[in-house]
Amino acid sequence: MKALMIGIAAAAGAMVPGTALAQTASDTSTGQVVVNGNVARLCILGTPSRAIVDVGQMAATSGTRVGRIAVIGDQSVTLPGSFCNFAGSALTVEVTALVSADASPVQPGFAKAVNYTATASNWALSPTAATSAASASGATPIATSTGVTQPAPKIADVTVTVSGFTAPSDALLTAGIYNGLVVVTLGPAVSGGL
Amino acid sequence: MRKLILASVVLAAATATPVLAQSGSTTGTVTIDGSVAPRCLFTTSNAIINAGELAQAGTGASAGKLDASKLDGQTRTLVGWCNGTASSMSVEALPVVNTTVTSAPPAGFDRVVNYTATATANTVNALDSSVVAGAGSASTVGLFTGNVTVTLSNSATPGAGLLVAGAYQGETRVTLSAAN
Repeated sequence: MKALMIGIAAAAGAMVPGTALAQTASDTSTGQVVVNGNVARLCILGTPSRAIVDVGQMAATSGTRVGRIAVIGDQSVTLPGSFCNFAGSALTVEVTALVSADASPVQPGFAKAVNYTATASNWALSPTAATSAASASGATPIATSTGVTQPAPKIADVTVTVSGFTAPSDALLTAGIYNGLVVVTLGPAVSGGL
Repeated sequence: MRKLILASVVLAAATATPVLAQSGSTTGTVTIDGSVAPRCLFTTSNAIINAGELAQAGTGASAGKLDASKLDGQTRTLVGWCNGTASSMSVEALPVVNTTVTSAPPAGFDRVVNYTATATANTVNALDSSVVAGAGSASTVGLFTGNVTVTLSNSATPGAGLLVAGAYQGETRVTLSAAN
């Protein structure tokens, strides 16, 4: 029995060095360089295809509606390549009615404001529209609306359509120069976010 | 005649003594064997590149897209050694990926930044692009001890699109393999 044990020990002694060599021959060491970065939330609206929308003469100059608002065609402005790089964004449209710069009081039967609707589309599931409701005197010309949430990062050409031009109570429009403003804002939805 | 015989015996005894003196020293040997296995080791095995904001600022046509200068040229130094003459080094570059938003991005967006990582040790380079999975080809660095510099280059997004907002992380692995 002793002779057998010696024989095993001898065999083990002969094999172990070989095994050790095989292990060390594949000895490796790994180093790591971790790369960290971040991208902040960002929304950008493209440059408007038209900086100014001029609807020209707004009052009818002949016919049964002479002096009252004429039919004004829809006006369209494109904001190309608009994007948000995060999920949960929304468009907000703020309109300011077309109001005459004439500061004199408005006489009965007349108006110095023209209301309209601005609709921003091609962002979320449904368009965002705001309609001004200025009085004949031009008071309370501003209206605002925020659209539904866009649930994913998106890049698109946002289209803004200005339509539905009306005068308060369909009154006669006073002469003058009228100015209005449409402001489109693209940003995080109130309930949105990453 | 009898005396002569006795004298011969004495002479024989005298000649026996010189034979014993000649075999009085000998040499023994102890052999010492040992070995040193091939081995590589990183003594400084970790480094971090904090690249910050990866997207371009401003409102121009490239706003929101990768700012390649944030990764290209970034260098970090690891330290290690190999004691085997045929030791090699390989690099695996893993892309810088958005860890906040893991779903596939919409058209026009990217959430991955690829790059090339080059490791230099003993004036030998090994490199890998994160575009292709797995490590790059190994280069023989042999015996060395000292710096292993890792440099990033050629950063780009797969679709040259806008980067999805969020935190990004990637990794470059450098492997030293010992051999003789």
